[in-house]
Amino acid sequence: MQSITTFFQTLIDGVLIGGVYAVISIGLSLVFGVMHIVNFAHAEFLMLGMFIAWFAWAYAGIDPMLGAFIALIITFFIGMGMQRVLIKPIIGAPQVAQIFLTVGLLFAMENGALLLFGADFRSVSTSYQTQALTLFSGESGRILVPLDKLYAFLMALLSGASLWFFLNRTSWGRAMRATSQDPMAAKLMGINTDKMYMIAFGLGVGTTAFGGAVILPYITASPTVGSQFVVLMFTAVVLGGLGSVAGAVVGGIMVGLIQSFSALILPIQLQNLTLFVIFILVLALKPEGLTARRRS
Amino acid sequence: MTRFFYPSLAVVAVTVMSLLPLTLDPQGYEIRILCIAMLFAALGQAWNIVGGLANQISLGHAAYFGIGAYTSTILLRLFSLSPWLGGILGMVLAVLFALLLSVPTVRLKGHYFALATLGAGEAMRVIANSWASVTGGPVGISVPYSRESSLWMMQFPTVLPNYYLFLIALVIICLVFWKIQTGALGFRLRAIKENEQAAEVIGVDTYRAKLIASTVSAAITAFMGTLYAQFQFFFDPDTVFGVATISVKMALIAILGGVGTLLGPLLGAAFIIPMEEFANSYFGASVAGLSQFAYGVILVVIILINPRGLVALIGQIKNRIFSKGGSQ
Repeated sequence: MQSITTFFQTLIDGVLIGGVYAVISIGLSLVFGVMHIVNFAHAEFLMLGMFIAWFAWAYAGIDPMLGAFIALIITFFIGMGMQRVLIKPIIGAPQVAQIFLTVGLLFAMENGALLLFGADFRSVSTSYQTQALTLFSGESGRILVPLDKLYAFLMALLSGASLWFFLNRTSWGRAMRATSQDPMAAKLMGINTDKMYMIAFGLGVGTTAFGGAVILPYITASPTVGSQFVVLMFTAVVLGGLGSVAGAVVGGIMVGLIQSFSALILPIQLQNLTLFVIFILVLALKPEGLTARRRS
Repeated sequence: MTRFFYPSLAVVAVTVMSLLPLTLDPQGYEIRILCIAMLFAALGQAWNIVGGLANQISLGHAAYFGIGAYTSTILLRLFSLSPWLGGILGMVLAVLFALLLSVPTVRLKGHYFALATLGAGEAMRVIANSWASVTGGPVGISVPYSRESSLWMMQFPTVLPNYYLFLIALVIICLVFWKIQTGALGFRLRAIKENEQAAEVIGVDTYRAKLIASTVSAAITAFMGTLYAQFQFFFDPDTVFGVATISVKMALIAILGGVGTLLGPLLGAAFIIPMEEFANSYFGASVAGLSQFAYGVILVVIILINPRGLVALIGQIKNRIFSKGGSQ
């Protein structure tokens, strides 16, 4: 009986955190899907989103769940500008140039934040942080749903659904998918592909920043917080298939579950090791992703 | 004349480098910077064998470096084993790790290879941090200091012998790179770089070529790790297995100088290391992250100006001067 409650508790924890991983990873997948560029600096936008939400909370008293929208808007425009100046010149360039431009960006952003904000850890305090819903309570133990994680999960769900709606039900979304499939043909159909690239990059980093902001109630912000999420993010995206937005959702939830279940059997320091091993194995065995559909 | 130009240039350069420390304080700061510059030039050159010639962009070479540093240091602490033997054992372990890693990664290209190697390097860092009973964990490990000076134990009262060890290592590694570059393996690797399928069609055993290149690169990197440990006397997992401190820095130096060229890593290290040291000493530890911030910016700028690095830039300038404004 004890093990059953533990199982369900682990399952719930895994899904809740996995939902947030999904949203963080969607942005990365979107950027790759549309521009065919692996953005190594992507996790830094998560850090940026956390800091924007923290400043909004500290100076204007805005709850991180609402601050997330501010983070989304600000990073959307930063992303559009960055795409224009830095990413556009390397679309179609040799991969070594693409890899190292974004790796350079990673160091510039991480250490730029260190120079600007200092190495302090910053956290918020909210009324719901310490509260939890009790789903089940009995002799064998309790199953709890922490409210901060639940809210973050719901916000993640909201942003994922909005992005899905944008991509699949609006004309801009259709134009973006067309650009991703065949930029030349899209251009011939009158789509401004340069604009689509800018919006895709802006949305990609914005979504990730949004995901960063909603986890602020239970993860402290610091300039190096991005590095905790890099491998996680890439594992989620690779599990789901690079470039597939729906795959990133599946991948994110799988990563959440892998993490919470491996914590049951392994010491906490080795939690990420499981992820690394799965990551390398998936890359090797099925680099197109576990959810990949056969394309003609 | 050109036939003797480059070899004689190399002889002059090595002579200058061997005489230079005699004019410096053997305990001084300048000689340490030169040591680190040579260390990273050698590491950049090792990375260049795989990353430059075959275009297999590794972001996990710190795994080999750390294996080299930890193997010799742990054996020295436990059994007082000479770092020379420990270093050779480290090379063997690094080669084994490279072979193990090649099973899942040898068929990967571009982004996927970069991601997988990044993951492998990070996995080693996690292991070194959590396996505290052997590695000392996150607090780091120190090389036991013995009073007497001994080449066999690689311990010296001044930095001068370390300087010559780094110089000899750098010269050997440059010769290895040159030998590979101009030999059959170099042509095979370049064929893989241009078009792997085409290379396979004309009969290049691409699997074998990549495997040889990555094991040679891993072994060299591991031995440099041992030299580094005996030079620094103290290190921790985040330094020797670090993405920024080792993996990316190695690649950055090769790319900045000119990827796939013999001269590239030398130029890259001669530029990056003094600049980094200058920034660190000028701004001090109070401005943490400045040198890495500068790295990032330089990397971005260099790629936007000319992804082929300083060598290509020098070539462009040379062309412009010698052709008197004519076409390139």
